[in-house]
Amino acid sequence: MEFEGCSCFRQRLVLSTLSGKRVKIKNIRSKDDNPGMRDFEASFIRLLDKVTNGTRIEINQTGTMLFYQPGLLYGGSVEHECNSQRSVGYYLEGLLMLAPFMKSPLKAVLKGITNDPTDPSVDLLKVTALPLMKRFGIDGDGLEIKVVKRGMAPSGGGEVHFSCPVRKSLKPVQLTEPGKIKRIRGTAVSVRVSPQIANRIVDSARSILNKFIPDIYIYTDHMKGLNSGKSPGFGLVLVAETLNGTFLSAEVMSTPQGQGDQILPEDLGKKCAKLLLEEIYRGGCVDSTNQSLALLYMTLGQQDVSKFLLGPLSPYTIEFLRHIRDFFQIMFKMEPQKPGDDERIGGEKVLMTCVGAGYSNISKTLK
Amino acid sequence: MEGKEQKQHKQKQHQQKHSGPKAQKKNRKKDKGSEHEQDERKRNPRAFAVQSAVRMARTFHRTQDIKTKKHHIPLVDRTPLEPPPVVVVVMGPPKVGKSTLIRCLIKNYTRQKLSDICGPVTIVSGKKRRLTFIECNNDINTMIDLAKVADLVLMLIDASFGFEMETFEFLNICQVHGFPRIMGVLTHLDSFKNNKTLRKTKKRLKHRFWTEVYQGAKLFYLSGMVYGEYQTQEVKNLGRFISVMKFRPLCWQTSHPYVVADRMEDLTDPEAIRLNPKCDRTVSLYGYLRGTFLKNKCQVHIPGVGDFSVSDVSFLSDPCPLPEVLKKRALNEKERLLYAPMAGVGGLVYDKDAVYIDMPGGHAKQQQEDVRPTTELVQSLIGTQSTLDAKMAASKVSLFTGTAALAPEEVQESGKQSPTESREWDAKTQRERRRAVFADEEEEEEDDDDGESDEEEESEEEEDESDEEEDDEDDEDTEAGTATPGKKAVNKAEPPVKKKKVEEPVAEMPVFADSDDELEKSEDDDSEEEDDDMEEGGALKRGSGPDSGNCSEEDEDDEESDMEDEDEISSKHPEDKEMDTEEDVEMGYETAGALRWKEGLAQKATDAYLRQQRATPNLRKLVYGTVVEVQEEESEEEELGGLFKVSRPEKNKRVRADAMDCSRFQPDSSHDWDQKEMLASIKDCFVTGKWEEDKDAATLLKEDDELYGDFEDLETGEVHKAKTGNKDQTEGGSDDEMGDDDDNDDEEEEAPLVKFDADEAQKNKRMEKKRRLKERFDAEYDDGDATYFDDLKEEMQKQAELNRQEFEDVDDEVRVQYEGFRPGMYVRVEIPALPCEFVTNFDPHYPILLGGLGASEGNVGYLQMRLKKHRWHSRILKTRDPLIMSLGWRRFQTIPLYYIEDHNGRHRLLKYTPEHMHCGATIWGPITPQGTGFLAVQSVAGTQANFRIAATGVVLDLDKSVTIVKKLKLIGYPYKTFKNTCFVQGMFNTVLEVAKFEGASVRTVSGIKGQIKKALRTPPGAFRATFEDRLLMSDIVFLRSWYPVSVPKLYNPVTSMLMPVGKKDTWTGMRTVGQLKHDLGIRNKPNQDSLYKPVVRQVRHFNPLHIPRELQKALPFKSKPKQQQSKGKTPRDLSRPAVIREPHEKKVAALLDALSSVYAYKNKKARTEQHAKHKEFLKQKERDETEKQKRQKEERKKIYRSMGQKEKKKLKSSLKGASKDN
Repeated sequence: MEFEGCSCFRQRLVLSTLSGKRVKIKNIRSKDDNPGMRDFEASFIRLLDKVTNGTRIEINQTGTMLFYQPGLLYGGSVEHECNSQRSVGYYLEGLLMLAPFMKSPLKAVLKGITNDPTDPSVDLLKVTALPLMKRFGIDGDGLEIKVVKRGMAPSGGGEVHFSCPVRKSLKPVQLTEPGKIKRIRGTAVSVRVSPQIANRIVDSARSILNKFIPDIYIYTDHMKGLNSGKSPGFGLVLVAETLNGTFLSAEVMSTPQGQGDQILPEDLGKKCAKLLLEEIYRGGCVDSTNQSLALLYMTLGQQDVSKFLLGPLSPYTIEFLRHIRDFFQIMFKMEPQKPGDDERIGGEKVLMTCVGAGYSNISKTLK
Repeated sequence: MEGKEQKQHKQKQHQQKHSGPKAQKKNRKKDKGSEHEQDERKRNPRAFAVQSAVRMARTFHRTQDIKTKKHHIPLVDRTPLEPPPVVVVVMGPPKVGKSTLIRCLIKNYTRQKLSDICGPVTIVSGKKRRLTFIECNNDINTMIDLAKVADLVLMLIDASFGFEMETFEFLNICQVHGFPRIMGVLTHLDSFKNNKTLRKTKKRLKHRFWTEVYQGAKLFYLSGMVYGEYQTQEVKNLGRFISVMKFRPLCWQTSHPYVVADRMEDLTDPEAIRLNPKCDRTVSLYGYLRGTFLKNKCQVHIPGVGDFSVSDVSFLSDPCPLPEVLKKRALNEKERLLYAPMAGVGGLVYDKDAVYIDMPGGHAKQQQEDVRPTTELVQSLIGTQSTLDAKMAASKVSLFTGTAALAPEEVQESGKQSPTESREWDAKTQRERRRAVFADEEEEEEDDDDGESDEEEESEEEEDESDEEEDDEDDEDTEAGTATPGKKAVNKAEPPVKKKKVEEPVAEMPVFADSDDELEKSEDDDSEEEDDDMEEGGALKRGSGPDSGNCSEEDEDDEESDMEDEDEISSKHPEDKEMDTEEDVEMGYETAGALRWKEGLAQKATDAYLRQQRATPNLRKLVYGTVVEVQEEESEEEELGGLFKVSRPEKNKRVRADAMDCSRFQPDSSHDWDQKEMLASIKDCFVTGKWEEDKDAATLLKEDDELYGDFEDLETGEVHKAKTGNKDQTEGGSDDEMGDDDDNDDEEEEAPLVKFDADEAQKNKRMEKKRRLKERFDAEYDDGDATYFDDLKEEMQKQAELNRQEFEDVDDEVRVQYEGFRPGMYVRVEIPALPCEFVTNFDPHYPILLGGLGASEGNVGYLQMRLKKHRWHSRILKTRDPLIMSLGWRRFQTIPLYYIEDHNGRHRLLKYTPEHMHCGATIWGPITPQGTGFLAVQSVAGTQANFRIAATGVVLDLDKSVTIVKKLKLIGYPYKTFKNTCFVQGMFNTVLEVAKFEGASVRTVSGIKGQIKKALRTPPGAFRATFEDRLLMSDIVFLRSWYPVSVPKLYNPVTSMLMPVGKKDTWTGMRTVGQLKHDLGIRNKPNQDSLYKPVVRQVRHFNPLHIPRELQKALPFKSKPKQQQSKGKTPRDLSRPAVIREPHEKKVAALLDALSSVYAYKNKKARTEQHAKHKEFLKQKERDETEKQKRQKEERKKIYRSMGQKEKKKLKSSLKGASKDN
């Protein structure tokens, strides 16, 4: 399959790996002053190479063209130094999609930036992606994301342990009812700054959220010494849990040292709380960051009907849907659901329905 | 006679009393009977008491075991509502009666005769079942392919001969590829003259069959032939068995889509074939889709040909549909359809140079009708491929206006390309077929051009139909090998729009040619707009600017025409618009016609505009663009040779091509979360917000109150009444009468109109309440014995239900895009780039299968499998000898390496497969899911005397690298030995090699273990090693190591279908080394060391044992080496001569001898006497001695006593003295 440009780089490689179809990406930033792939993309390819066996990668001299022939997913213990242009979340999102289909359970150690403003942070994925995976039957002891060391942008120095069990096939899901939010939890993160900042964030966030629900608890996580990485920074991750086990989350991180305007902890707390409200307004059974993960797992399920209620589709998800069609020939039925006049449950939702591709893990060894 | 006799012998029966005391008593007993039975336990409790707890536990366990054994892992039932025909494979050795049986069965089901069984034959066998019969010839390739798709196998066995190898081979093939249902059929039973031998043979064959299949497997007997056919009653019975049979889902079949092609057409451009007869062909294959959903553009494998990617799939109306109404018990004549295009049934017969329409006498009109559907199908397929000029050339022919079949010359005249006589039969048919199609198509086109509506035709059709029905009634016993009215009905039901659509690309082309750049521009604009919309994040609002005209392209089918019209108004270049839209087809020929569309344009436009305004943004369009159209556009592109640029989302997005790759969804800036309204808009998302009516805690509580509110306190006698919350809410559930009363009250109170509504509402409420109560009860009641298994089963059932319902009401066109083509559909699959041999060497007797491949099953890699040599195969298999495997859909030749797993997990290479054991095998082959079974044969060419299946097994693991190692012994020789240290050379060549093996353990042939220490500088490769004992110079040191082996990358699909007709079973691939040597007459030079030679043994010479002098001294005499020389011969001078006596001397000597012996005797006697005397004397002496001692003892005792007394006295006196002293 041929693509152009570097957008959706991860999607293409991940889907290629899962479907076994080779991919050629041309014109990667060919018009740019600095043409070719960036370091973080190269780092992502290297990570893919580590978790697979028999992958063939060809990159031309300028780095504007990539040929990727996927191998079989191997898993096992992998250690990867993530490039500091993007945070660990960037890499972890790719791994989350691949991890259940490895030959042996994946135990990855990712080093780099754990939290930055662009990508979903590790904390956010931990509280949202893992419960989502459990819905698809990927559960058990092995499933874990652990932040051992925290590293803020720009210098990083964090360390994340991710482990995931393997599955032969995924369960079809019918998640059409997000349920009502019963509690809000969160983590206020601070490293190499005053521990008081975390408390300030918590207070400001609570001031907004308290209007809706009293059951709010925001932990403060202040890491010191060796575990605190190389750069100072702080941030907040909020997650709202519903009665039906849906997790909606939002996060805001402080701007990296020496880049852009500083943000006050109080402002950050409020901004994050508002983002959470926005996320709740969008609604659905999964938050906007993990939409694509949910859709992928639906696609890779057995040949049964899966249903999933989503909020408005993010541009990333839309691209992802197109790629799923290209790689797996699977289209989703999308039915917009408008809330009634007297209902005050946020914006429009989309009910996504598909028949799974009947995908099974071909890497796993039969004993 | 016998019956009469029996009647005579029959005794008079006992007459039962119907009245009187006896009868009364009996009646009483009967009434009480049930009671009595119940009472039994009460009456005789001991008999029912627990005798032994252990025994009871055992019985309980046993019943549980039996119950659990019956459980299978529940699977989601994915069988479609209208299942595809059941594939019945009729298999057996040659001359056993396969074709006859199929013919008889077809006659039994459809009352039609089929002369040549050629390709699959599909028939309607019942109200809910269709059957596809396929005959399996004696080629092992065919057997393998058909075993993979069979639902039921009729295994014909010649009873007069017994079982043949093919039967067992086929059974084993079936076993490997998921056991389909197997039914044995014994034929040639009429050859037995003796009844007893017949019975015995039947029994013997039956039991052998049972051991192969399962105990009690059905074996059918066809006793004899009548006029060359089997007996009607027996065939009927067999038919009944087949039509009620149930099938188990087979794992591979349910997880892969597949098509048993019953029709094949070559779509290649005839010109291209003319220029290059060997060019790759584009072929379309038709058949029912089975297994699971088939996705468009997927990869398929055609066994015997290879892997191909499908260029297009479309579904067609069912050529052999099930009867629609199911009120009758049996099928009527019209519903007994038969469809076998390869056998010339289904309308057309293909001959050398013409297409004949099969028309049995008296059915002329019906025939003419019947042809229509097929040709229409054909037309729909050809539509995109045929060029306009081809059609123009054929346009004058109206093939089906006349009732009679067209004369071939006529056709030849009209068609551009006339078939050459030299061509082969198959190729010819293809071409002919196409020509027929053109004519037909042309006819329709003409209709359109003339502006005639289809109605006329339809009316014609109707007339014909009525005629035909009359005909039908007239003669039912016709042998019409045709499709039937059912098909026609389907055809008629199709909307006229569809037909137009089918032709569209053809009509399009002339319009296209002139203005392509403008089109491109407008499309680009459109797509850009779409991008913008997308960035808005879901809210797509389409402006109705001039360019938006193109949006009609993306609209739903039903909207399209209107939208299109609107475009025409708003846009400046109406001609341009026509092109890219899907509907322009219509436009195309309408412009050619009367330009009817202009009527009422304004009205349509306004309508469309309004609809657009209020339409919700169509997400599907936003995400996927125009899915239906995209494919067609692509085909356009192909046809126009790159003149056009297809507007696909990815390609237009130059701007976005290098966008940031981030999954974050930036929030909508319009939402300001400081405002109250916004905050209020999500209030109900929280548990603190308002709940829905049916889930609100307050309402639930109230309802509970209503359900359980009524109760009477028995102690106080107080009656609590449920409070009715609303006026119209009545209490239901517990007492209906109360509810009814209330109803009545309400009725009285309220006005009749309102009352009606209220009544409804009440009724609903009550029903709801009852339902909930029942649910709760069910939940409580079932919870008791609901096991995990039951839960799982229920879950599966729910899923199956959902699967069925989800897309039930969606139009097939759209549904196909969501689900893929579902099993049961009759599909047409177009495959490009097939080798030309597939078409030129086409033989309808060989089945064409299309096996769909799953994700990444098209790739090649290493497969690890568990393999066992078949116990009936006569020879063991050798590593690196090529084998032909049947794995998944594929048959291919590959080179396996056999290995066995050691207990430390090492995969050790084996030279040969073990005799009665499983071993591992690694091959380079197509990636196939783990757990798939496979079988291996050594060759597929010809038939051999032996059992052909060499091995069977299962895929265990897939990988891109191999882990097999073989043992490697490195040998070295000591060249210097010290105490326990030894210098070894000859094992390695460089210092570096040694460095790699430092610390490795080595061993000598004599069994001394050691370790490599360090490399020596000279000679290169020598090293120092230490051993547990001193080495001899003559010893040999070896190092045992493991060397990874690489698997040869041979993957050679068996292309038996490409072989010439009649030679399809002669495919040979790579030969084994043994075969090569045999064929080329090469003989191995034997190893000189292995040759047998006369044994020459050298005498061993041992050195004398030398003992040091010091040691000699220390040794005991016994072990000392004896220094004395053995006495040599006495020298002659020392040896004395023998003395020879004189006779006198002899006498003297004899006398002396006698005297001396006398003397000796005397002496001896005297000595014995002396001896006895001495003994006596000694005895006497001893006695005396003892006497003397005794005496002395007495004496001494006395003395001592006296002495003691004296002593005592002395002591006493001394003591006294002392005391005195004191």
